[in-house]
Amino acid sequence: MTILGLPSELWFEAVMFGILLGCFYAAVSIGLSVSFGLLDVPNVAHPAVMIVGSYCTWALWDRGLDPIVAGVLLMPLFFVVGVLLYRFYHASFEKRGTEAGVRGLAFFFGVAFIIEVGLILIFGVDQRSVQAEYIGSSLELGEYRFPYRMLVAFGVALVLTFALTLYLSKTFTGRAIKAVAQDEAALRLMGANPVRIKQWAFGIATGVSALAGAMLIIVGPVEPAMDRVYIGRTFCVVVLAGLGSMTGTLAAGLILGIAESIVLMHPDLGASWAPAVAFSLLLIVLSVRPQGLFGR
Amino acid sequence: MATEALALDGIDALYGDSHVLHSVTFSLQEGHVLALLGRNGAGKTTCMNAIIGFLPARKGEIRVFGERVGRLSPEAIARKGVGLVPQGRRVFPTLTVKENLIVAARGKNQLDHVFELFPRLKERTEQHAGSLSGGEQQMLAIGRALMGNPRVLLMDEPSEGLAPLIVAEVGRTIARLKAEGQSIVLVEQNVKLAFDLADEVAILNTGRVAFAGPASAARDNESLITQHLGVF
Repeated sequence: MTILGLPSELWFEAVMFGILLGCFYAAVSIGLSVSFGLLDVPNVAHPAVMIVGSYCTWALWDRGLDPIVAGVLLMPLFFVVGVLLYRFYHASFEKRGTEAGVRGLAFFFGVAFIIEVGLILIFGVDQRSVQAEYIGSSLELGEYRFPYRMLVAFGVALVLTFALTLYLSKTFTGRAIKAVAQDEAALRLMGANPVRIKQWAFGIATGVSALAGAMLIIVGPVEPAMDRVYIGRTFCVVVLAGLGSMTGTLAAGLILGIAESIVLMHPDLGASWAPAVAFSLLLIVLSVRPQGLFGR
Repeated sequence: MATEALALDGIDALYGDSHVLHSVTFSLQEGHVLALLGRNGAGKTTCMNAIIGFLPARKGEIRVFGERVGRLSPEAIARKGVGLVPQGRRVFPTLTVKENLIVAARGKNQLDHVFELFPRLKERTEQHAGSLSGGEQQMLAIGRALMGNPRVLLMDEPSEGLAPLIVAEVGRTIARLKAEGQSIVLVEQNVKLAFDLADEVAILNTGRVAFAGPASAARDNESLITQHLGVF
């Protein structure tokens, strides 16, 4: 029996793999959910920064560190880079008013290309990958196999989503970040400096990218231009989620992951159609529910 | 002699090329309520924006308890003890009532005081501010400003768009804050509410001060009220 052209025995597998893939997509998008979703910074360089995280993870792994440990250790460094990047963006673009937004977008595209070329100059164009016990082996449950690398990404995504949701709702700075996203001027009336709060939040978003980058290279080999496919996917997840919602990001990641996985396994469609899924979903959501699934 | 809590001294302000405040001068004594009145477009909200620093004055001087604040950013002026309840309330809609209050906390904890003033807010601490009624949002906006322990409280049309019963409640709250010694500038279209509460009155007309003095003198001056406020 087939449902929508896909044999019914493949459906379960497609959905299970889609859940794992979806959590991975949520993990790579959650930083953007903070920087674009909450702070309105059109950070198209987010995937490129993540690839830098992948390469840094590779470099540390090459010196004997576990990739996950490397990703965690890189977070504070990336936090500082994020703070500096935001300060530069703010001083050069944001401060000059709303019409600077498009130029800001061009700025982040520029940053993405510089990163890409920089990575090629340092590491070359070859793919890089890491090895660890949990890479290459699978958890076997009956006739189904779940790659451990995907389970690791799944776990990290859940931890990241949970931690960020908690941070934004339970800490003073977290609440201020949500407040600055909603009404910057009103927050200034409370004596808070919005620029300082936003640079802190952008730092967190960038710090999270380091760990997401580690996940990326755990899940599969990376190469310098890989950020391009992730621009579509990450923006799709963040907009689908409803800008700035962390649980929404997890849900949207799952939707994209499952949809892509079904397309991947579908006999009439296959891998070449997978990249179209993100943009099709984005178009459908924008026309039906522009504020996203969990929109503010 | 009473201490001067807030003073505007010859304030000129411009939006781009349009000159909206012309040498505006008035002052508020500590513990008093000053009502800032005028028709739509008279420059009342612009005055608030000048005091809090969103629209820095081009000329003149603004003092908070004797300290000049004219060159400071809005957040720095807020930290000097100026609290603004903005027009349109502007609560953070997806934050809960409690989160809205806590994010504004500065200095001595006022949470219990705010909940005592507005028991309705205490019943709704975990509710998102966006789902509150207009009156409750106004209470939240006032409570949020109080969380910062302001030495001068500016209220921009707190009765705007509210049902008469709620307006009366807002009025009682302002009276109580005044009794507690809070210095308040009250911007109002509701002239009756303003005269009930104010010690002093400043009336603006097209960006100029048409009258500044004791509320009692303005209340009985019918020609002044008809000319500049066009009510009663």
